[in-house]
Amino acid sequence: MSPQRNDLSASDKELWQSLAIGVAEPRPVDAMDFAAWIEGRLGEAEAAQIEASVAADPEMRRAALDIADVLGKPLPAAPERMAVRARALVGFEAERKAARGSLSGWLNWMTPLAVRPAIVTMAAIVIAAGGFTMGGGLGASFAQQQYGASGIQKASSTSEVSSDINEFFASDGI
Amino acid sequence: MQVADLNQIDLQALARGDKRSWDAFVGAAAPLINAMVRRALAPHGLGEDDVMDAAQDVFVRLCAQDFRLLKTYDPARAGLSTWLAVVARSAAIDHARRRRRPTQPIDEVPEAALGVEDRHVEKLKIPQGLLTERQTLILKYLYDEEREVADIAQLLKVDPQTVRSTQHRALVRLRAYFREGTG
Repeated sequence: MSPQRNDLSASDKELWQSLAIGVAEPRPVDAMDFAAWIEGRLGEAEAAQIEASVAADPEMRRAALDIADVLGKPLPAAPERMAVRARALVGFEAERKAARGSLSGWLNWMTPLAVRPAIVTMAAIVIAAGGFTMGGGLGASFAQQQYGASGIQKASSTSEVSSDINEFFASDGI
Repeated sequence: MQVADLNQIDLQALARGDKRSWDAFVGAAAPLINAMVRRALAPHGLGEDDVMDAAQDVFVRLCAQDFRLLKTYDPARAGLSTWLAVVARSAAIDHARRRRRPTQPIDEVPEAALGVEDRHVEKLKIPQGLLTERQTLILKYLYDEEREVADIAQLLKVDPQTVRSTQHRALVRLRAYFREGTG
């Protein structure tokens, strides 16, 4: 310990280290209260509560000093990559609306009013039929009749692969 | 853009999801979030990619669930930059915890590293109320963490002399209490 360091005498430190503080479990502190305390905006009673929690938790003590230090210094510019990624998190409302309304907008432009319900109905039938066919529909029983067990075996091996991929995405690595 | 520009952000438009406000906010907040995340991750020895990911975690937290976290910010209670620094540090520490290396099997740890001296000493308890919370905090910073008086004074927004006198008064109380108790 250097003499410059806060004039701490070894005996004072020894005394402190021979003692244990009998404090109750510290209360959790939310970000808003912690920020207000760091800025010195709290009244004495409120500040004392935060200080009890900070005194009891080494991580909070480090956090308080780090934050005060960072806020007290000029900040270097952030990497452009950081800002670009962050900006991409929020899209333009106009774009979101355009994306939502793109199909109906196309229909409005392309077709006369009277034909639109028929087109929408046709599209729904095509989508439903396509989904039914792709989802297996009557195909499994038809395949069973036509090809016996070998076709079914093939289908089940496909399902094994898809289950593995699901596990891959569900793993911690993603 | 400097942190001071954060004060010019339209928070209501930001919380509504306005893209231009978000972009302006990112520009103003990125230097602070960058600095805070780097500071928080420094002791963990993580690289540049982790800094980028942790910073992105901060921005995600802010805008997630329709800007729920951002909406909890109350300008009447603290400055936006201080609150953001708290949020950024918290997110960075969470990131570091997730990235913590898996535990090493005990067989692979050198014996010297495991040698812990069994020196259990029963400590005398400081009764509650003997020291104020601030006195306790200052003694913790000075003795447990060996921090500089100037750093503590900066944090507590007081003069360094105030920190020293608080320390002195706390020690006088401790000595008086335990001298009486043991004498």
